[in-house]
Amino acid sequence: MSDSPQVVLRRTASDAEKNPGATARRRRMIEVGLAILGPLVFLGLWEVCVRNDWWLDGRLISSPWEIITSERLREAEVWEAVWVTTVRMLKGFVIGTVLGLILGVAMGINRYARAALNSTLTALYTVPKIALLPVYLLLFGFDEAPRVYMIATVVFFFVWIYTMAPIMAVPMGYREAAASFNATGWQMFRHVLWPAALPQIFVGLRVSAGVAVLMVIAVELILPRDGIGYFVNRGRELGLPDNTFLGVLLAALLGIVFVGVVRQIGRWMTPWAPEDNSPGQI
Amino acid sequence: MVEGTSAPIKIAARGVERHFGADPGTAVHALGPFDLDVAEGEFVCVVGPSGCGKSTFLRIVAGLLRPSKGDIELYAEASSETPVAMVFQDYSIYPWKTVERNVSFGLELRGVSKKEAVERGRHWLERLGLADFAKAYPDTLSGGMRQRVSIARALTVEPEILLMDEPFAALDAQLRQVLQDELLDIWQSEARRTVVFITHSLEEAIVLGDRVVVMSARPGTLVQSVDVPFARPRTPELRARAEFNDFKNELWQLLKGEVEHYMEAVRATGATDGGAR
Ligand SMILES: Nc1ncnc2c1ncn2[C@@H]1O[C@H](COP(=O)(O)OP(=O)(O)OP(=O)(O)O)[C@@H](O)[C@H]1O
Ligand SMILES: [Mg+2]
Repeated sequence: MSDSPQVVLRRTASDAEKNPGATARRRRMIEVGLAILGPLVFLGLWEVCVRNDWWLDGRLISSPWEIITSERLREAEVWEAVWVTTVRMLKGFVIGTVLGLILGVAMGINRYARAALNSTLTALYTVPKIALLPVYLLLFGFDEAPRVYMIATVVFFFVWIYTMAPIMAVPMGYREAAASFNATGWQMFRHVLWPAALPQIFVGLRVSAGVAVLMVIAVELILPRDGIGYFVNRGRELGLPDNTFLGVLLAALLGIVFVGVVRQIGRWMTPWAPEDNSPGQI
Repeated sequence: MVEGTSAPIKIAARGVERHFGADPGTAVHALGPFDLDVAEGEFVCVVGPSGCGKSTFLRIVAGLLRPSKGDIELYAEASSETPVAMVFQDYSIYPWKTVERNVSFGLELRGVSKKEAVERGRHWLERLGLADFAKAYPDTLSGGMRQRVSIARALTVEPEILLMDEPFAALDAQLRQVLQDELLDIWQSEARRTVVFITHSLEEAIVLGDRVVVMSARPGTLVQSVDVPFARPRTPELRARAEFNDFKNELWQLLKGEVEHYMEAVRATGATDGGAR
């Protein structure tokens, strides 16, 4: 056997093992750097294209630099719009999340609740939510309520599904370990089902956070009165491209910040859950 | 060269160490420096207190983890497709694959056609008494059967080096003995592979191993390497012999000090080391 050609497989330390601290810091820096670089490249391309009239018409479309340096940013109107939109979105998000959690938990735990509500909710889920807007206007008047409820509705469906599914999927072994100690229903929920499902629930909350931003802008475009969406719309009507693009950028920023906040809350609330098990590449 | 044999070295570990965590406050020195030579065709059993770095060592040998210091060299035939295979304690077989597809998995990854891979896996399914369950999903199997699937999966790639991390730990005593006997029979009757086998059971180590390596409490180092004095081929009746028990006691004396050491450390730290696995 030993006369045939041999290969040597060698297991040795790489840089990552020799200097774990430095490697972790370097990796973190690369990640943060790339996270910043990505948007910068995108904005840079946009800038270059507008300036040179490649693809994008400079008369109609503002460049990022024009937006950032525009006078408008110093006007109170802009920040009022951001404030109105943020509050509206948060209200909708909280209402939708609370309702989604309640129904998701109830249906995840109780098969009769599931049987009673599943088909109804699934049917409603498939209705394009924007089509509900006229209904909401009839039901809730023309003020803030229908706007907030539109956002809440969309958030609700995501949270509901992302809560029910992971609770139902909690492995038998976890349940039985608690059951063997005669856990009450509440204890089972509090010590097993809820924490087991929580990491997945936060995936749902992150998705919903993004969708909430999307919805709030959509609602503001359709029912123009105030907020970032209105700001965008008016820029188009008045032929002020700066306005429009400033609004789009602000909406994107709102999305990044809000999803980031939800993710961070998730990290605090589920310290046992690995952020990811992937070694970085396949 | 390992003492008393003329077989060439298959695995050479030199000063292998592993630390976990970058932050000095919470970093764990899990293993080493640890040295070990394993000869070709040798069956080495590794015992040591819980958390001493046995699994860590095996994962480094398997190439799943890198050492922090030192190195391990594995000598393999240039022609071998999968020189190293591992059997995990929790089986790690896939619930979404049937038994036969689990077993042929390693070959399919090597580009062997599905048909041929399943064909080549069949031998091991039969050898391990799983032939009737080829089309079943793992969730419908008992724990012992799942572990057999995981062993069959490793053997199907015909590895030169087989790594086993407490493969029978989750099984009950009888089943454990049955699987030990099966493994003993397979290993003695087929081409004898190089095996590194981790266990907490001295009995298991003596029945199966050519040599038992005793490790110290964490960070695990080599305490002693003891040749098992029972001739091959062995039969399960070996367990009943008086010499068997004498030898087991001898080994226990070696290990006992380390386990006590470990227990003291656990008490001193308020058992915070418990997560070791
Ligand atoms: N990924 C990891 N991150 C941090 N610490 C780890 C990791 N893996 C192992 N350790 C630590 O390394 C030490 C050795 O772990 P290892 O799993 O190798 O022990 P073991 O000898 O296999 O124990 P057991 O006999 O209980 O299976 C333990 O203290 C463990 O907590
Ligand atoms: Mg282990």
